Amino acid sequence: MTLFLSEAGQSVVTGTFGRAMKRAGEALGAMSGQIIDVQTPQVRRCSAADVLALAGGADSVVLAVYVRIFGSIEGHSLLLFAPPDAHRFAQILLAGLFGPGEAPAQTAGNVLAYDDLELSALQEAGNVTISAFLNELGMHLHEPVQPTPPQVVIEMAGAVLDAVLLDLVSDTDQILAARTTFSEGGRAIDGTLLVLPRADSLRVLLDALGAIGI
Amino acid sequence: MTVAGDPSLLVAGIGEMVMSSSSDAHLVAYGLGSCIALAVWDPRTRVAGLAHFMLPTGPANATSPVKFIDSGIDTFLKAVEGRGAVMNRSILKAAGAAAMLTVGGGLAIGKRNSEALKAALAQRGLELTASALGGTVGRSVQLEVADGRFLVKSVSFVNEL
Repeated sequence: MTLFLSEAGQSVVTGTFGRAMKRAGEALGAMSGQIIDVQTPQVRRCSAADVLALAGGADSVVLAVYVRIFGSIEGHSLLLFAPPDAHRFAQILLAGLFGPGEAPAQTAGNVLAYDDLELSALQEAGNVTISAFLNELGMHLHEPVQPTPPQVVIEMAGAVLDAVLLDLVSDTDQILAARTTFSEGGRAIDGTLLVLPRADSLRVLLDALGAIGI
Repeated sequence: MTVAGDPSLLVAGIGEMVMSSSSDAHLVAYGLGSCIALAVWDPRTRVAGLAHFMLPTGPANATSPVKFIDSGIDTFLKAVEGRGAVMNRSILKAAGAAAMLTVGGGLAIGKRNSEALKAALAQRGLELTASALGGTVGRSVQLEVADGRFLVKSVSFVNEL
């Protein structure tokens, strides 16, 4: 099933992500004690192959925060970071929780090694970011969209995605991918927020946002 | 493991199969989560094949001929035989079928894939010589056409089966 989105429809989707990420930034700021701004300068519908290309290929390692979505919309959501960017983001999040010089030092050497605090901070940041989108969506649907607790994995992008692609019937552009930039002070961290509705939920989602038929 | 862009690298994407009898070829499948890669290598003719299955059951699909184990396994085995492999002397190895994302009960597809593959092979009088199936880690695999070595790579290790 391919749903056509006009330029106006695409703007509606982008606007929804934008409002959600503004709230995500406020929540991340409250969580970390920092002033964090979250922008989604680019949102597009794409295929699994496009997402793998964005991540650098199927065997490129990513840090992913995963949430399964259920309720009136069924599907999955992932927030992906390149491992070095995930470390930098964790340091920003944790710096606000500790006094100057008290934050745990970044693990030296192995970019794939994270301590428990870093993982916890990233997991919660993913949860906050994805939940902000789901809350925005819930307001349009007039009923809540429920997330599972978040799970953080450090894995090959292909391995993470094939676990959720099973639920997507077609190979067409069923994934909403938002390039997402988290900024604090002069520092900016790029991630990718993916929303992967099941086939029957994609239409419900776009319809609720008012993105279809305009 | 070889590097992407190498012309001797034949990549099996999801639902795809690759095969070769060229001694400098490497057959690879990247980023297996709950998917399964099945490798076949005939030590006499040195014909090799690699299939990247996604799900245990489903209809045959011309675009992705080995997306489903039940409808795709004969397509794959016949294709490798067509290149000169004889199945009853070939070495069969497999990797994948992990449970990557477990929140919300997970999807348990990896376990079902593993069971479906073993059952499908048993129905045809075949069995795996070696395997790296299950667990919670993603894997990439590489089958060396020259000698049948089957390398399994995860984020933290590389093993040879």
